[in-house]
Amino acid sequence: MGVAVTFEDLSFTYRQNNRPSLRNIQGQMEEARTVVLMGHSGAGKSTLCCTLNGLVPRFFRGQYEGRVLVKGEEVARRKVAEMSRIVGLVLQDFEAQLFSTNVELEMAFGPENHCLPRPEIEHRIHRYLSFVGLERMRQREPATLSGGQKQRLAIGSVLALEPKVLVMDEPTTDLDPQGREEVLSIADDLREEGGLLLLVDHEPETGLRADQVWLMRDGQVVAQGTPAEILVNLSLLKSCGIKPPPTVELFEEMGWPGRPLTAEKATSLIIEQNLARPRKLKAPASLPNAGGPPVLMAEGLRYVYPTYQIEALQGIDLSIREGEFLAILGQNGSGKTTLAKHFNGLLKPTSGRMLIHGRPSTDYSRRELAKRVGYVFQNPDHQIFARTVKEEVGFGLKVLGEHPKMIEKRVAEALEVVGLQGYEGKVPFTLTKGERQRVAVASVLAVQPEVIVLDEPTTGLDYAQQRNMMEMLRRLNRSGHTVIVITHSMWVAAEYGTRAIVLKDGNILLDGPTRVVFSDEAQLARASLHPPSLVRLSNWLGTQAMTVQKMVEELREIPNPNNRINPNCQCPTSS
Amino acid sequence: MNIFLYLDKGTWIHHLDPRTKMIGTLILFLICLCFNHPLYMGGISLGVMAIALSARALFNFWRVRYILILLITFSTVMWPFFAEGTTPLWSWGSLRISEESLLYGIAMGLRLATFVATGIILLSTTRNEELTNGLIRLGLPYPVAFALSTALRLVPTFAGAAATIVQAQISRGLDLESGSLISRIGKFIPQAVPLFVYAIRHTNLLAMALESKGFDPESPRTLYYEPRMRKIDYLTLILLSGVLVISTYMRLGLGLGIAMPGRM
Repeated sequence: MGVAVTFEDLSFTYRQNNRPSLRNIQGQMEEARTVVLMGHSGAGKSTLCCTLNGLVPRFFRGQYEGRVLVKGEEVARRKVAEMSRIVGLVLQDFEAQLFSTNVELEMAFGPENHCLPRPEIEHRIHRYLSFVGLERMRQREPATLSGGQKQRLAIGSVLALEPKVLVMDEPTTDLDPQGREEVLSIADDLREEGGLLLLVDHEPETGLRADQVWLMRDGQVVAQGTPAEILVNLSLLKSCGIKPPPTVELFEEMGWPGRPLTAEKATSLIIEQNLARPRKLKAPASLPNAGGPPVLMAEGLRYVYPTYQIEALQGIDLSIREGEFLAILGQNGSGKTTLAKHFNGLLKPTSGRMLIHGRPSTDYSRRELAKRVGYVFQNPDHQIFARTVKEEVGFGLKVLGEHPKMIEKRVAEALEVVGLQGYEGKVPFTLTKGERQRVAVASVLAVQPEVIVLDEPTTGLDYAQQRNMMEMLRRLNRSGHTVIVITHSMWVAAEYGTRAIVLKDGNILLDGPTRVVFSDEAQLARASLHPPSLVRLSNWLGTQAMTVQKMVEELREIPNPNNRINPNCQCPTSS
Repeated sequence: MNIFLYLDKGTWIHHLDPRTKMIGTLILFLICLCFNHPLYMGGISLGVMAIALSARALFNFWRVRYILILLITFSTVMWPFFAEGTTPLWSWGSLRISEESLLYGIAMGLRLATFVATGIILLSTTRNEELTNGLIRLGLPYPVAFALSTALRLVPTFAGAAATIVQAQISRGLDLESGSLISRIGKFIPQAVPLFVYAIRHTNLLAMALESKGFDPESPRTLYYEPRMRKIDYLTLILLSGVLVISTYMRLGLGLGIAMPGRM
């Protein structure tokens, strides 16, 4: 088998930066392989991707040393457009890549640039649209496709160039679990065709599919090897800011032999070696704060988008109580964001009612709503405008007409909560994505709303940043705020949410304590969701735990079969 | 909201070569300039309506109905005050309205509305890419044509981002519905800055994506929607040119369709 890519002592420093983004990269990638590239944000993953088709150093200028050879061609000597015959690059932001008025023209764009004859273009459109499963969407406008479909189209349009090396930079971050699966299955098909696939991803589960895993840290490749070698090295993974596979973590903590990477492998190991005995799951019968007064209440809530005449919500009945930590789950397009935008009155019900403290949201003024329900949008860049962090965070208070002294105090408090003390004078645009996300949260917090709604707060953050964000939300929740999180990340919902609701096609499919919701794997599958591997293992074992820590505690409490019932469990046997 | 006018209907007008449609639109504009009498002008307007009907583009006319009505009314009311005719109808102080100027005003209103209507038919039946391809075939350099069509494509993208930005700022308590003019201008900044940053980032990413897919403005490329002149294209152009020649002859040779001599 031939070598597809060779890095020879590659270093690169962006023009405006002092610190190198890539340092002495060495290594080879072979044909017909899948390589997954992992690392913390800012580790240099995207930069490395861009060196393969020459965007670095041709589009992004800077100091470039060493060589990159793709199929024997030295990349830096070629134009990006020439390299596109060998290397296909799918960028992280797929919305920005689609610009044609219909799907077939989007597919035709690359082959047109390569001056292929029309029958050949026709042939490729047909071939690769079926490959990514969009053959029936040929005449559709890309903007009207779902998130997963758009991403598949972005991939298809690059595949139509028939590259020998395909590079995908975080192709699944904005996608629901089914969309992820769709995209990753393309990866498997591609390997059979004999090309090299380089994939950047945060999730250890993606790493499992690879032939090779490369770990990056601070511009260096710190490890290369098979998933079985790399993904079991917990301290190495943590030092690179990657979420370790929880099943491996559990086995290590428990001192059990074997390092299973999946829930399935873990169960078979447990059975084989008789490590623990599964029992029946006893779920808590009620929510922790079921008695609290309801803050938000939806009654027969329906919403129809006026331009498309699509009924996004089809009669939602929901009551959210003070102090809850609620996770809203569901596929792309299931109505999560539409529902959440009713919570602060951004959208008004087509029929039914949305009550905030018992009063319809339509009765409140904009100012009153902003004080009661804060809403953090998915992309912090949609709201950041000020010259300093202080001005940005104080903006809400200023428009609400607070006294400058008061604003100063509240801004300081809010920044402390999000862990950005001392950032007052910094320019928000120069901060990292994780920090900008925190500034956005702080700017909502400063107004001190009782309820905080966050749309995908962990998207685009690496594992350490995700942990930080969620720990911060937990602290807010414990100090009395009601927190509502829309998320695709199953482990985030499992570890942090006290309650979860699952939406499907504008209806509530499941609603209850997170533990109970996640134990119903059959219903979750109907919404194309499935619990994270640790929770699946926990479901099988019949434990309450949804984190490694709790699971270890729980399993240690039942060392012998005579003492199988958890003495701490105060759940009623009959309710 | 969809700001694009293209309607995917597949009528014979949709299948015409984009060049035919662009030149045809130009000829129709010229025909509109031939007459300034509302009866003759009205006949042309009806003809354009008939074309719109067979292109099944009437939905778009409905969408811009207010603009069309405004153009006709405004022109009918305003022109009589500026164009001076010979047969007085009504006067008040120094303001005078003559029969000719009233007719002229109506004709001008119809002419403007017909201009708009012709443009709408073109956009309802021609894709952005087809227009670009047509312009290239007519001799416009590819980079210019491509920049034009990309700029058009980015409008809805930025409109979508702008809507999200407004919502994000409203959620923070920004009240866009009240306040003096000065304070409203102040409120513009929290919307404009994020949009500006978004636009820069987006276009940068787009440029990366284009290069990665082998786009090179200097080198030749194939067009998947290859414009092709067929018999019907030539027929359409001959027919429209014929109407133009006859109209010009009627106006200049026979002196027909004139409400106010000496004006277009």
